[in-house]
Amino acid sequence: MGGLTIIVPVKAAVPNVTAVRLDPVTHNLVREGVPLMINPYDRNALEFALRLKDKYGGKVITLSMAPPSGKDFLESTIGMGADEAYLITDRAFAGADTLATSYTVARSIQRLFPNFDLIVFGEETTDSSTAHMPAQVASWLSLPYVYYAVDAEVKLEDRLIVVTRYLEDEGVYETFEYRMPIIVSVYRNSNPPRDISLVRKVEAKLNNLVKTVDNNTLKLERECIGLRGGSPTIVAKIEDAKPIERKKQIFKGDPPREAAKWLLDNLTKEGVIKP
Amino acid sequence: MIKDGSLQLIGKARELASKISTDVTAIMLGHNLGDVVKEPIYYGADRVIYVDHPALAKYVPHIYSNVIVQLANKYKPEIILFAATKRGGRELAPYVANTLRTGITADCTELDVDPKTRDLDQVRPTYGGNILAHIRTPNRRPQLASVRPNVFPTPPRDTSRKGEIIAEAIESLPNINGQGLIEVKSVVKGEELPPVEKADVVVVAGRGVGSADGVKLLTELAKLLGGTIGGTKKVVDAGWLAADRQVGQTGKTIRPTLYIGVGVSGAIQHVFGMKESKIIVAINSDPNAPIFQYADYGIVGDYRDIVKELIELLKNYKK
Repeated sequence: MGGLTIIVPVKAAVPNVTAVRLDPVTHNLVREGVPLMINPYDRNALEFALRLKDKYGGKVITLSMAPPSGKDFLESTIGMGADEAYLITDRAFAGADTLATSYTVARSIQRLFPNFDLIVFGEETTDSSTAHMPAQVASWLSLPYVYYAVDAEVKLEDRLIVVTRYLEDEGVYETFEYRMPIIVSVYRNSNPPRDISLVRKVEAKLNNLVKTVDNNTLKLERECIGLRGGSPTIVAKIEDAKPIERKKQIFKGDPPREAAKWLLDNLTKEGVIKP
Repeated sequence: MIKDGSLQLIGKARELASKISTDVTAIMLGHNLGDVVKEPIYYGADRVIYVDHPALAKYVPHIYSNVIVQLANKYKPEIILFAATKRGGRELAPYVANTLRTGITADCTELDVDPKTRDLDQVRPTYGGNILAHIRTPNRRPQLASVRPNVFPTPPRDTSRKGEIIAEAIESLPNINGQGLIEVKSVVKGEELPPVEKADVVVVAGRGVGSADGVKLLTELAKLLGGTIGGTKKVVDAGWLAADRQVGQTGKTIRPTLYIGVGVSGAIQHVFGMKESKIIVAINSDPNAPIFQYADYGIVGDYRDIVKELIELLKNYKK
């Protein structure tokens, strides 16, 4: 009985979401030409996967639907310890909402790695933070799924996995047992990621280890992908959000007692502390 | 007991339904539900459809999602709203939307409906919160959206309201494929201070506090304020505070009533995790620290002296 085949889908996040350009027609984020980094929470997911591989053997494969510039951050995932990395890229995939993106990711995994045991997602992305992808991919593949995983144990001979997850808003740990394959997303405050080895990353670049796959290979149905075919939601309009107005009242210098009094008086007036 | 986030959506749904002359249905899943199935009516629902089944005694995400899909296929709603809790809006809603091959918008901060097209206007802050996007699902139904708890007010409970209550059977359940949920454990921590995401008052230590002793002083202040202690990434990396108390992009996002940052410079990664606090206070010796740009009240000075005075004043304040 072999080890585990673990797929970690990762997203090329935009490092500084406050300084990006939006397409004037579709209102979508313009990702082309923007330096991309790995979504930080996907590194916790990769760590979760690598720990399982360290314990039970097998291989960890990262995969991303991204523009061609996504190659670089996929090399970083090899630097962190992934065995293989795949860039799913095609103009036809661009502008996808979460339904079309999840279709592309789900079918790519099915076609490229039909015998996978586990798909491990990050909790959410820092640039759009919907947390939709894990459940949507589970729906396309009709698989059990569980969010906010912190730990897992595998019984290889029975292909069983026991996943413990933490629900932050309820302060509750839950443990689930499923027969693999299943899909998990990893709680962002768990599995602090290991460092990226620059040597391995450079090796990945020099040896062209990131494999590129387009829709000529995947042959995904046009009506399910991209902006026009597969995305039911549209951004009808955008407007500037008003940042929360702050009072910016500053007490400068001494004496400390006066400063402390000034602060407590104001906080009492605000009603945020009570005598 | 029904969670506030769901009751708030019944209130919002009632408002939307009036604009397009339709009714509001609440759905409830579980086992031995009892009288709680009447509650949604009291908060504004016109109808409750519930599924009471032994298989729903334990929460298993794909089982719950599938039952909701079956109900949606039978009753064909135009709009489905989920409270954006970790289970509901995060875990269940996207599976339901996807299986119905329709769109979904997460964490909406406002909802409206166009009486002509009956399109749901789904407003959500995006790209770091500087832009509000109005999202629509013009060509498919139902339209799905989730809303975080406490974005809308909880409607009053009116026990004189009447409505229809329907018990629905389920045709088939998907294979659990294993035992599903096998253990539930609540976290009860003895005398420790509450977690940063749960407290109304959070005192946050930045690198400027200089040492673990500085963090101890701030913890005393946090206790006197009935709050808890948190820290920036630098403070956690230095080992002065446990990792689960880190506030910021790679830590926790908090929105307390009162945030007090002490020795916090205000790096964007930290601000990301606290900018929605109701009142922000900054104490820092550097008058040019970026944190002051986000603060309602700021004190420039040596934090030790100021915090000691605050502690002294608060001890007497209580008397």
